[in-house]
This record gives sequence, structure tokens and C-alpha cells, in this order.
Amino acid sequence: MPQNFTLNVNGAARTVDAEPGSPLLYLLRDNLGLHGPKFGCGLGECGACTVVMNGNAIRSCVTPVSAVGDARITTLEGLGSIDNPHPLQKAFIEEQAAQCGYCINGMVMSAKALLDRTPHPSRDDIKLALDGNLCRCGTHMRILRAIERAAQQGA
Amino acid sequence: MSGQEMEFASAGLGRRDFLHASGGLVIAFSLFGAADATLAETADAATRSLAPPPAGRLYAWLAVHPDNTATLFTGKVETGTGVATALAQIAAEELDFPLDRLDVVMGTTSETVDQGPSYGSRTIRYAGPQIRHAAAAGREALLGLAAAHFQVSANQLATGDGAISVTGKPDRTITYGRLVDGNRLNIEIGASGERFAMQVAPNVRTKDPSTYRIVGRPVRRKDIPGKMTGQFTYVQDVHVPGMLHGRVVRPYGVGATLVSVDETGLKDIPGFVRVVRRDNFLGVVAETEWGAIQAAAKLGSTLDPSGPDAGQAKWSDWEGLPEMERIWETVRKTAGRNSTVASQGSVETALSSAGRTLKATYQTPFQMHGSIGPSCAIADVQGDRATFWSGTQMPHQTRHDMAKLLGIPLEKTELRWFEASGGYGRNGLDHAVADAAVMSQAVGRPVRVQWMRWDEHGWEPKGPPIVQDLLGALDKNGRVIAWRHHMWVPTTGDTHLIAAELIGKPDVTGATGLGRPAVTYAYTFANADVAGHGEGRVGLLTAWLRSPAQFETTFAMESFIDELAAAAGQDALQFRLAHLEDPRAIGVLKAAAEKYGWESRPIGTGRPDGSGKAARGRGIAWVNRDDVRVATIADVTVDRSNGAIKVGRVVVAHDCGLVVNPDGLRNQVEGNVIQSLSRTLHEEVAFDRAHVTSRDWMGYPILHFTEIPDSIDVVLVNSGPEYPAYGAGEPATCPTAAVIGNAVFDAIGARLRQTPFRPERVKAAINT
Ligand code: FES
Ligand code: FES
Repeated sequence: MPQNFTLNVNGAARTVDAEPGSPLLYLLRDNLGLHGPKFGCGLGECGACTVVMNGNAIRSCVTPVSAVGDARITTLEGLGSIDNPHPLQKAFIEEQAAQCGYCINGMVMSAKALLDRTPHPSRDDIKLALDGNLCRCGTHMRILRAIERAAQQGA
Repeated sequence: MSGQEMEFASAGLGRRDFLHASGGLVIAFSLFGAADATLAETADAATRSLAPPPAGRLYAWLAVHPDNTATLFTGKVETGTGVATALAQIAAEELDFPLDRLDVVMGTTSETVDQGPSYGSRTIRYAGPQIRHAAAAGREALLGLAAAHFQVSANQLATGDGAISVTGKPDRTITYGRLVDGNRLNIEIGASGERFAMQVAPNVRTKDPSTYRIVGRPVRRKDIPGKMTGQFTYVQDVHVPGMLHGRVVRPYGVGATLVSVDETGLKDIPGFVRVVRRDNFLGVVAETEWGAIQAAAKLGSTLDPSGPDAGQAKWSDWEGLPEMERIWETVRKTAGRNSTVASQGSVETALSSAGRTLKATYQTPFQMHGSIGPSCAIADVQGDRATFWSGTQMPHQTRHDMAKLLGIPLEKTELRWFEASGGYGRNGLDHAVADAAVMSQAVGRPVRVQWMRWDEHGWEPKGPPIVQDLLGALDKNGRVIAWRHHMWVPTTGDTHLIAAELIGKPDVTGATGLGRPAVTYAYTFANADVAGHGEGRVGLLTAWLRSPAQFETTFAMESFIDELAAAAGQDALQFRLAHLEDPRAIGVLKAAAEKYGWESRPIGTGRPDGSGKAARGRGIAWVNRDDVRVATIADVTVDRSNGAIKVGRVVVAHDCGLVVNPDGLRNQVEGNVIQSLSRTLHEEVAFDRAHVTSRDWMGYPILHFTEIPDSIDVVLVNSGPEYPAYGAGEPATCPTAAVIGNAVFDAIGARLRQTPFRPERVKAAINT
């Protein structure tokens, strides 16, 4: 049966009424109107739904809300906005690193977790960190460059 | 108002409505003839027509707002390729208007002209001139207004950056926004013909391309900042007040019939509303997505259903699909229609004097679009009125199809277009809107349907399996004297709707069509016989997938040329050049070779002596797709011990004529290379006799980050203003499989004639 969960999302306490087994993704998108995280597979296979939870890039599509507790959740919206983008978002814009852009949430959030841990990753580090993030449009070269640019700028 | 409702408001009320609402009198342009002076009208938002605006009126294309921003309206849509920005560049150029103040409204059927679907790399090529002319007519109209305003003749005026001044009198300047003063641009500009063939404002003078300042300049795409911050609204993000969440429950076997539905336990799922059952169509609706997903799962919509009665919905036993292992035999045997692409001299006669004859068969499997975001749509059907929110590549066509599917009048339907996850052809988007339509009609509320991953993998229309026989003969000087290329191609254009088939009205809309021999034969062999055998549906539903069939035919043609070159002991580039006259083909081949640093040598002689496990090779191939020429060269490393292929450097020379946004084009070319590399190395749709068994990314792997090439260099050829603009959405896909196959042969002497080049297949080729 649905119950109340108070989540720590982008630095604010947000209460949602949800079934304990409901994946976090649907609550972020449908209850809280945070459309950065996307539904891609619901199976933990593509990375479109990635959010950062206590510093780790996690797949919100397979994370039940009951497992979240008071963990700090950051979504794409929590990084920045068009008017005030986070340095990573800015680097992605500068490199024009998107085609349809549907995968980009996962790319940026995975990169965020990586750079927080490893501020100066090698190209191979980046590839490995993003290996579970699928992009069908084939924007990979630009995504790599964007993350390298952000790292250089100390994002 | 909550954020979600605001989104809906902006979705529902277009820019044109604001004009209707804010406008009063529409300008009477006496300068444009007496008839126009009578056209003043009072706009009224309440009686908004759902018909597309008339193409011959300027307001169908353009609105200028009081704050001196403007909106371009186009029936074309963005699919991630950057055309929204490129079309805006074309309009801004002719209008003399700042690009960053020009907004683009796409696809919504009541606000845009039907310019044909956005497919086949045709948007810039066909819609570009339509928009160029409309914008030029807009500039003329504004000059007319300014002439009246300043009481001077139009030739004393100059436009620039969204304003008009009297020449030599910089203090006499007025912005477009102030001139138009909130009114609708109700001016006749003339239009004839339809869709791709439509001519807009045919008599207007457009700019001399050599003076272009915005077209041809690399600009940042308009859509990208919002996509980076979660502020962009995809169709998946649209929220309509009162909407329910729907999920489909597809038959276990593609052609199975629904035997029974046991609803036990569904009512206990929080938010569950009801089951929608109509003939073989089955779906569920709920107040929440999670509720709908759980209900659908109970009925049998899961990743790995174990059989037709595994869920609470029971399906008949249906095993009517052809056998996967023998699909090419099935394709060969399927009835169809023969067509000739080229017939030159006599291949038979030439064979009798040939020094050496080669034969080969190339096979390619079903492949899928594989959009990262599963198809999604919302339908709100209220009696005989309906509104759809969709990311389809053909909004105007889909509006017609939905009216037919539901049996409601076209005038009472509207499709509001929002961008979806990249589609690369006809994926599930048009089917999801039909699913939503059937469900909303049944429940009388707006229904949002998003397919589950297995719905998309399992039911999106696929690219078809193709089999091709090639034969070639060399004379004693190593020249090709005979060439035969026969191809068997199932349809790439089946537009039947899955929901229509399931509700028992398969033919209410759509057609199956016949596969076409999608090949541009451009060699100059004295004796050639190039022909196709076009078929209808073979097994699974198939539709257009990026470079329909030409990805496959280029693989065969450009691999087999390589086989002949290798047999003749020649260099791969020189051999092609020796058999080509097309200057643009020669141009891209040479440009790619120069960038790469190609040195002539016979194929297969660059490889090391075989002491190490890994061998390196290079491959080249080219294509002429829809008047675009692309040549690609790549380096590969092949690990003999496990058959793994690693792609190193890739060089692409691309000639699509005038390039509107060079950076946008490079982005496209890189994307085509990586996606086609994925199709080359990994992709094959698996199926058993009942259904597709590649139901997720494990069952249908695509290229991962750790497998991308080391670099992709793009050289633009003949891209200046003196050339017409052809489309660039897909041609760079075509050469890749041949390039990689040829490079593998160069490295290890094993020829790959079937995609995908998975390690087992490479190992098998090494051992034969
Ligand atoms: S949607 Fe979560 S990993 Fe694909
Ligand atoms: S940009 Fe389209 S899926 Fe990555």
C-alpha cells in the first residue's frame, strides 16, 4: 500500500506518496516533475535514468523508493539550469555533445560522479565509467571531449 | 499553476494563438494588392481551427512578435539531427533576422504546413527551399510595411538584424517587431503542390548564396542547452491534466489471438483503473506508471515470458514466423517483383572470355532502430474529437491515420508534436500513438502510453534481412569486365499499424509496399547486370531504418569490389578509381585518402608477418545515396585468437553540397559512423517461431563506450554556396560495414560476408 516517503532531492526535503516497491525514477519524474532522469529500459541496462545518490551514479529505474532512505539524491536539474549551467553542463553545451539528447542525463550524471571521485581521469577512465551508458545517436566522441574539457576546467 | 500544468498550457496554446488572442486587426497590406486590403479580420482563439494553416499565407510560416522575436513554423520535425537549427538558419538568413531571436515551432498539425514526413535525409533538401522562399517573402512584406511607415520607396530601405532603416539615415530605423505590431502576417505569398513537391512563394527573390552570412556558419544548436539541464520537454515528459498511464500487453506470438483474460488481483494494485480489451488488443490503464506496469506484468508483459499462457492473459499457440537460421532462404523464396537497376552489355558473353571469375553471397539480418527512449504518446479522445501528443516523424500523416483508425472526422483531430528520443526511421512512435488512441477511446480520458523496453525491442518495425548474390570477372589486365549484383529485399515501408491489426482492422490505414533495390550503381563496367527482387512483409513487420536497404547493398557492393581488387592484386583505392567516372565519387575518395595519408599497395600486403596475435588492416568504401557522396576509410586491429575487432582511426569525406551548419553536420556524420559501426559489429535481431527474442539490450547489444573508434575525422567536400544542398541525415551510415569488412580482410585475409561481425563469425572466417 502507498505510504509517505520523505526524500532528500537536490538539497530539499520532498515528500511523495508511493508504494515501497515503486522505482525512484517514476517518483522523480511523475510526482516531483523532475524530467532530467529518463525511462530507457527499466532494467538497469542503459543508464538513461541515472541520478547521483550519496556520490554514486545509480540507476533510478531499479532502485525502489524504500531503499533510498535519507540518501542525498542529485538529479540533472540539481546541477544547474540553462541560465546558470554547472561547468559539466557548460562543457557539454560547448562541445555540442548531443543529438537527440535522450541519453545525456545519464552521461552527465555518470560524469559528475566520476569527476567528483577522479578529478583528472584519463580517456580510458572516462570510457570505463560510461561504459554502461548507451547512446544510440552515436554522440560518444563529443561526450568524451565534453568530460575532458570539464575536467580540465576543474568541474 | 503547477509546473506540469504550465507545461500543458504552453503545449496547448501555440505562439499563433497568442497572436490570435493579442492581435486585433490584422494588417491590411495595401502594398500587396487591393484584394489583401479586404482581408482584415478579427482573430478569435475560441474558434481555433484544427486544420493546418494555408501554405500560401505568410502567417503559415512566420510570426513576428512585439518584442522583436520571431517564430518559424514548419511541418518538419527534429529527430536529433539538428534540423530545427538548420532550418532556422535558412529562415534567419533570408529574413535578415538574428538567429538567437528566431524560435521554431515544428510538426503540430494545426500550426504548421504539411511539408511531408521528416525522413530520408530530405528535410534540408526539400523543406529548406520552401522555408527560404517563405522567409524571403517575409522580408519583402516587411520592406513593404516599412516603406509605408517611412513614406519612402522600398528600394531606399535596407534590412539588417531584425530592423529596417532608410539608407543613409541611421536614425530612421524600426524593428520588425514594432512594424508588425502584434498582428498576424496575413499576406498571400502563393504556394502550389504538396509536401516534398510544394513550391512556396515561387516568384520571390531569394538571396545570392555567395552573400550568405548565417547559412554555412557553424552555430550552436538551439535545443542543446535545455537537453543538458532537464528543461527540454520531450514527448515522454508531457503531462496532460487528468491523464492515465497506459501499458500495452502484446500477444505472446506475433499473430496469436487472445483467448482469455483473468483479472484476479488487478484491483489490489494501487492506482489500477481497468483493463482495455478490444479483439486482440490488450492494455491496462492506471493512475500511476508503476500501477500500470505492475498490472501489465500480471497479464504477461514481462522481459522473459515463458509461453503463451505464462501470464493471466492467455494467447493462442502461434508459431508462424520463419526459422531464424534459414531466414535468407525464406527471403529468396518469397514471391515479389523483379526490377532492373542497370543492364549494360552482356555479362554472359563477357564471362566466356574472363581471366578470373569470383562469386559471393552476402547476408544481413533483421536490425532495429533501438531508440534509447521507448516510444511514447498521449491521446485524448472525447467523442468525435481527439488530440494526440506524439514525437512521430510524420505528424500530418499520423493525424490522418489516427482519424481513420478511430473513425472520427479529420477536422476534429489535432496532433501536437514534441521531440522524442532519436528514431532513425520508423520506430514505434506511430504505433504508440495508435495504442494510446485505442485506450483513450475506451476509457474516455487522456491516456499516456509508454512502451516497455521489451515492447520496443520486440515490436518496433525492423530493418529487413537481405540476401545478395554477386558475380564478377576480371580480364587478364586485372580490369573488371563483368559485374552481376542481384538482391532480394523485403519491404522497408510497411506502414500498417500494430494496434489496427490487433483490433481487427488491419487495413484501415497503411500499406505494405515492396522492397526496393536501394543501390546506386556507379561503376563503369562494360558488362553489368544489377537487379532487385522486391518483396512484401517477410516474417516481422519492417519499415525504414537509417539508409533503408542501402546500408546493406553498399556492404555487398563495396566488399565485393574489394574481393575483385584483392584477386587482381591491386590497391583498393586505385582499383575503384580505375572503374569510376563520377567526379564527385572520385572527389570524396581522393579527399578521404589524402586526409588519411593513403599509400598505394595491394590489399593484404600491409599486414605484419603474423608473429603477433593482433593484425592491423585498413579498409575503404564509398556510396552515392540520394546524390550525396561519402567515402570512409578505417583502421582496424583484429585479434586472431578471439576474433575481436577494434576500430582505430576513421576518416570520412562527405559531399552533400551546401552545408547549412558545418558543426551540426559533423555531429551527424560522427553519429552515423558510430551507429553503423554498432550495426556492423553487434546487431542482429533474434527470434523464434513465435516472437522476437531480442527483448532488451542484453539480447540486442549495441556499441559501448569502450568500443568506439579512437578518432573520427570528417572532411567536407564541395560544401560551399555554389552547390545545392542535399540531405545528410543518413548517407554516412552506408559505407561502414564494407569498410570494416575490407579492413579485416586486409589485416587477416579472411572475408566477412555476413553482418554482424561478432567474434565467433570472425573466428569462423579465419578458419575457412
Ligand atoms: S532506464 Fe534505468 S538503466 Fe535504463
Ligand atoms: S544523443 Fe540520442 S541517444 Fe545519445
